Amino acid sequence: MLLVNRVLGHRLDDGFAEQLHHLEHHGEVEWLLLPAAELARRRFRAVTSRGAEVAVALPRDEPLTDGAVLLFEPNRAIVVKVDAERWLRITPHDLATALELGYHVGNLHWRVRFAAGSIDVALEGPEEAYLARLASLGLDSRVEAHAHPADEAPC
Amino acid sequence: MNMIDNQRAKEATGHAVAARVGIGGPVGSGKTALIEALIPVLHARGVDLAVVTNDLVTKEDAERLRRSGLIDPQRVAAVEAGACPHTVIREDPTLNIAAGDELEARFPGVELILFESGGDNLASTFSLDLVDWWIFVIDVAGGDDIPRKKGPGTLRCDLLVINKQDLAPHVGVDLPRMLEEARSVRAQRPVILTDARRGDGVGDVADQIMKAVLFR
Repeated sequence: MLLVNRVLGHRLDDGFAEQLHHLEHHGEVEWLLLPAAELARRRFRAVTSRGAEVAVALPRDEPLTDGAVLLFEPNRAIVVKVDAERWLRITPHDLATALELGYHVGNLHWRVRFAAGSIDVALEGPEEAYLARLASLGLDSRVEAHAHPADEAPC
Repeated sequence: MNMIDNQRAKEATGHAVAARVGIGGPVGSGKTALIEALIPVLHARGVDLAVVTNDLVTKEDAERLRRSGLIDPQRVAAVEAGACPHTVIREDPTLNIAAGDELEARFPGVELILFESGGDNLASTFSLDLVDWWIFVIDVAGGDDIPRKKGPGTLRCDLLVINKQDLAPHVGVDLPRMLEEARSVRAQRPVILTDARRGDGVGDVADQIMKAVLFR
């Protein structure tokens, strides 16, 4: 198992971009695919796209971002790729439902963003679990709900 | 394995590197008892550790640990939440982060800090800005329907501990069914049965911590 204790830089940095491009053409770049919600962890285990096990132990103030270069050798590199965060957009049918929905979403401590007439809930588990919770609250017939990736979500 | 030495890494970077593990769960589920049971097990494995406790308006849990004789009292820090316990482990964990940083500064070799949340409800979760990995502790006496309620704490934790397994026959709990339902709602992510007071299952919890954040 390879232990990573610092971020070497970003894949677009001058010192890396050209050489990473070259390595990628030779299939020598391994990707560490991480969910967006997991990026705040400073210590974790993960497996690269080529099956290598990596133990990450970063200083607490070292940010981990999409494109972070964790290993850079003449014939091998490991780069972080962040899985797009998914959101559940919930649109209530009427104002009374919107108030009720807002109460429950707050009570459940779901992470949200607001959109015109809708609320976006960050999916930190299976979409089905969120839909089941809405159903258990009797909201499923009074809202429209569908998941979408982060780039479609308003800030 | 290409393993770093904690002290050397800290000297090289000047920053904190100890692993941080959260332990949350409802009031009375056995969080403090689990920590009391974990300390000697982890010490026996050579883990250099410290603890941060959280209470509402007292330092009750910290004082209990300091008096326990299990750990140097100086290695136990207390945070008084002054509000709902989850506010200081999730919404604004600044006080806990500062407590952890101070422990790391005072004990440079420390490699693991356990953060015990104050007792809370099933919606309680830890911010990953505070901890690298976290445990949620429930107990059989709290009712075998807890996993079915799918609280965020139960679903999102890295390890679910079902404590007081010895009480199951006395409180009418079907323990195998509770365990099966817990594994089901967590999509087979880890669940461990414990009796923290007698030490049952505590070694398995230590195994999980060692593997997940200490990499050994």
